Amino acid sequence: MKTTGWRSLILYIIGAGFLAGIIFFICSYFIQGGSWAIRPSNAHITNNGQLTYSGEITDRDNNLLSYSEDGVQQYNDNALIRRATLHVVGDPNGYISTGAQYAFRTQLSGFNPITGVVSPLGNSITGSNIQLTISSDVSAAALQALNGKKGAVAVYNYKTGEVLCMVSSPTFDPLNIPSDIETNSAYEGVYLNNALSSTYTPGSIFKVITAAAAIETIPDLDSRTFYCSGSTIINGETITCDGVHGNVNFQNGLAQSCNIVFAELAVELGKDTMTKYAEQLGCNTNFYLDGNPNKMSSYNVEEADENSLAWSAIGQYTDTVNPYHMMILMGAIANGGTPVNPYIIQSVTNSIGLQTKTGKTTYGDNMLQQSTAEELQQLMRYTVSNYYGDSMFPGLQVAAKTGTAEIGENKIPTGWIVGYSEREDLPLAFAVVVEEGNYGRNSAGVVANAVLQKAAALYT
Amino acid sequence: MFSSQVFESALSITMFVLRILVPLLSTIVLVRCFVSLKRGRRKEEPVVLLEDLASGLSIPVLYWENSIGRSKSCDIVLPDSTCSRDHAVLYRRASGWIITDTNSKAGTYVNDKKIKEATQIIPGDVITMGTSRFALRRVSEGTVIQQKKKIKQPKISNKKAPSPAGLLGLTNVIHLLLTIQCCFAGGQFNALPFIPFALLLAMSWGLYLISRKLLGRVSFEIETFGFLLSGVGIMLLCAEDFSLIYVQMGSMLLGLCLFGFLIWFMGDLKRVMKARLWIAIAAIVLFAVNLVIGTETNGSKNWINLGFISIQPSEFIKIAFIFVGASTLDKLQTAKNLWGFLGFTAVCLGALMLMKDFGTACIFFITFIIIAFMRSGSIRTILLVLSGSALGVFLILRFKPYIAERFKAWRHVWEYADTTGYQQTKVLMYAASGGLFGVGLGNGYLKDIFAGDSDLVFGMLCEEMGLVMGVVVVVAIAMLILFARNDATRSRSTFYSISACAAAGLLLFQTCLNVFGATDVLPLTGVTLPFISLGGSSMMAVWGLLAFIKASDERTYAVRRKSK
Ligand SMILES: [Zn+2]
Repeated sequence: MKTTGWRSLILYIIGAGFLAGIIFFICSYFIQGGSWAIRPSNAHITNNGQLTYSGEITDRDNNLLSYSEDGVQQYNDNALIRRATLHVVGDPNGYISTGAQYAFRTQLSGFNPITGVVSPLGNSITGSNIQLTISSDVSAAALQALNGKKGAVAVYNYKTGEVLCMVSSPTFDPLNIPSDIETNSAYEGVYLNNALSSTYTPGSIFKVITAAAAIETIPDLDSRTFYCSGSTIINGETITCDGVHGNVNFQNGLAQSCNIVFAELAVELGKDTMTKYAEQLGCNTNFYLDGNPNKMSSYNVEEADENSLAWSAIGQYTDTVNPYHMMILMGAIANGGTPVNPYIIQSVTNSIGLQTKTGKTTYGDNMLQQSTAEELQQLMRYTVSNYYGDSMFPGLQVAAKTGTAEIGENKIPTGWIVGYSEREDLPLAFAVVVEEGNYGRNSAGVVANAVLQKAAALYT
Repeated sequence: MFSSQVFESALSITMFVLRILVPLLSTIVLVRCFVSLKRGRRKEEPVVLLEDLASGLSIPVLYWENSIGRSKSCDIVLPDSTCSRDHAVLYRRASGWIITDTNSKAGTYVNDKKIKEATQIIPGDVITMGTSRFALRRVSEGTVIQQKKKIKQPKISNKKAPSPAGLLGLTNVIHLLLTIQCCFAGGQFNALPFIPFALLLAMSWGLYLISRKLLGRVSFEIETFGFLLSGVGIMLLCAEDFSLIYVQMGSMLLGLCLFGFLIWFMGDLKRVMKARLWIAIAAIVLFAVNLVIGTETNGSKNWINLGFISIQPSEFIKIAFIFVGASTLDKLQTAKNLWGFLGFTAVCLGALMLMKDFGTACIFFITFIIIAFMRSGSIRTILLVLSGSALGVFLILRFKPYIAERFKAWRHVWEYADTTGYQQTKVLMYAASGGLFGVGLGNGYLKDIFAGDSDLVFGMLCEEMGLVMGVVVVVAIAMLILFARNDATRSRSTFYSISACAAAGLLLFQTCLNVFGATDVLPLTGVTLPFISLGGSSMMAVWGLLAFIKASDERTYAVRRKSK
């Protein structure tokens, strides 16, 4: 019987398995319970997929953007603001999954791990209020400047990480949902936040990435002279340039956006170096905004020949980039190589007035050596001051690069501008993309100026 | 208008307080039950002695069944090279002390006569094994008096021994608190839940009086434990739909009868050991019948529809399985191989596989491992069986990939929320909605999901009574392994020890499959949660399994002997 005694210890193996499992479950409950409970199908808290009661969403100036009452979503009084902030706030049906109403529904619903989704008092629970970092006025200015064109505007403070503006077009008024929203091609992709969840062919803005690779890899870059006759043959096929730049050095090659300069650099750098730098600068990587992932920028030259490699270095070939990623890249350059991670939740305040979460400045992975970042700063500033002209951004000291991305025969190119303001009191990095915008300078550039001017007027 | 609001808030707060009290009181009952069981345990003192006639030294005989031999693992070790490693077994039955030779080379002699079968011996008899000679001696005046003292002793020394009636009363209070919650389920007062409460009250005190007064049994911990959990399950079902409790409570009553019958049946180990073959045959026949006329429900063909009622034979075969597997020490020492039991296990697992009831097959398999290990103690055998079955599982998944398909949602349930992960996501969603103290009995929504009150009942328990109560319930079931281990060396036979450990392990493993399957810690296999899930067969079988644990408590049969 003695042996029976010690052999019965085998039960402890099952007991240990049980304990491990139950502890794992309890821990998961405290970590993820909120996201388990707050689902559109949870009958305790939702009514037709919307939170029955939810906290308020406000912007950085305490303008009320949205709240929910008896299962009906309420919004700001101003139709322009409703449309400009739609993709950040969310739509009444919860289709925009990155919208705050949906993405932060755990906080808004007032779930807490002690009482779950019910109140011991028996009355309906009231959720936490969320203050966002965005400015509804700047957002409205951005939407107006887009002037009905599809596209995206993303602006953030590269020193603190606060996202000041994130506007996506097409958009709609959540209080007057258009009846033809599902059929009208003007509303195609309306449920995507283009700044976060779309990618576009980059065109010449990609030259910033190629330039970073060249600066760090080719020692005598600044003393070189390139020759542009308007086109060149690489691997039997033509690479064309928008102009005939003649003898041109690297600095003016970027400023005048000469394709020949960057095509030749790409061939010299090779696939591996190009891929290494594209990835180091954030391609093929996800970036997050308070837990929401972006759509990855993509750079893939695995199957490219030399000609295609050359096109990839000037933002064509199969390259696609995400505006949110471009904004962060600009922040990294402005910051000397390491970006500040953007955030959009300024604070979460629960129903008894306690702040349960506040936005904090955190740093991302280093992208560039400090010297490279500084050279890029100088190059991009030179591009604006000597080539576009500071009259494009009066009083803003902007460093930037535009792009005009070809997207196919008989299609109007996509206009881009990425950059940042050097002003100490206006540390904003931005990325603007305008579909069918044609020249980036005339389309996206104008939008960027309007947005920055509004921000400068309101917050400096 | 205002006063009705105040009333509603007051009611809501009261219900919340009740929901905090229930797990608290349940914990007290469980802990006290365990303490009581621990204190009721006999101290490790010898009952009789073996006096070595050569040296005059006395060897204490500590257990009800004692192996004697040269091997270090024997209870009585003989440092005598002429003895076999496992020479004989000395054990005690209602009739007195018995010795049996376990195929030793030199043989065992009582009063210089070689014994051929189990032989009764009395104090003063001389036992010869090899060159060793012993005389059986009493420790003092009489074993019966000695033993009575030992049971009483700890009760006097401990200041506050938990009283069985007090604990049962507290259990009734817990049920009453649940009944009150149940009455207010859905916002309207409804007195119907007092019917199951009254029935629970009657059953518990009925069993108490029969057990304590009629049969003179000392202990009542296991029964209290069973009533506490069954009552929680019944109240949960009562709040869902009153009509569910007819079958559930009827089954519980039958379960209590089964409990009583099995304890009586196991009172005579000779009878049990003889019946084992017939039990095995009956189990196989029942499986065969199930496979032929069974009906398929939710992918598993594990039901027999008798017209007025459906039963799940595999639940009862669990009990048979333990009967077939467990054995007394003298039988263990003579028939060491596991082939018979292994064959029986293979038939059971095969039948369950054919029924596509993989959850129950896992339960049988783990129970087999426990019994096999407790019988043989051979880690090598266990590893061999485990690697063999791992290979089997690999081959099954290789050639029948659709089985793996059933489990592909595991750890990815939210990606399969509309298909194979549907049930688990609902469990997580609604269990989390309840928080630590639940949304209140009858206020949940998981009960509307398919199998919400059976396979997914842990989620329902958490949603309506709170995570704390859910954890208390499953930890309570886990405590059964402590109950079983407590008596592992004190029971009247290895049969009781092995069967109690097997039953406790089975219930705990089944609990793991149910709880972790529903919450996506493990793949969902669809087994019931003991005591709580809706299901007559399950409820009866659980009480039947409790009988094994009850029987391993030596006090269960102690006083009955005295009264004879
Ligand atoms: Zn050129």
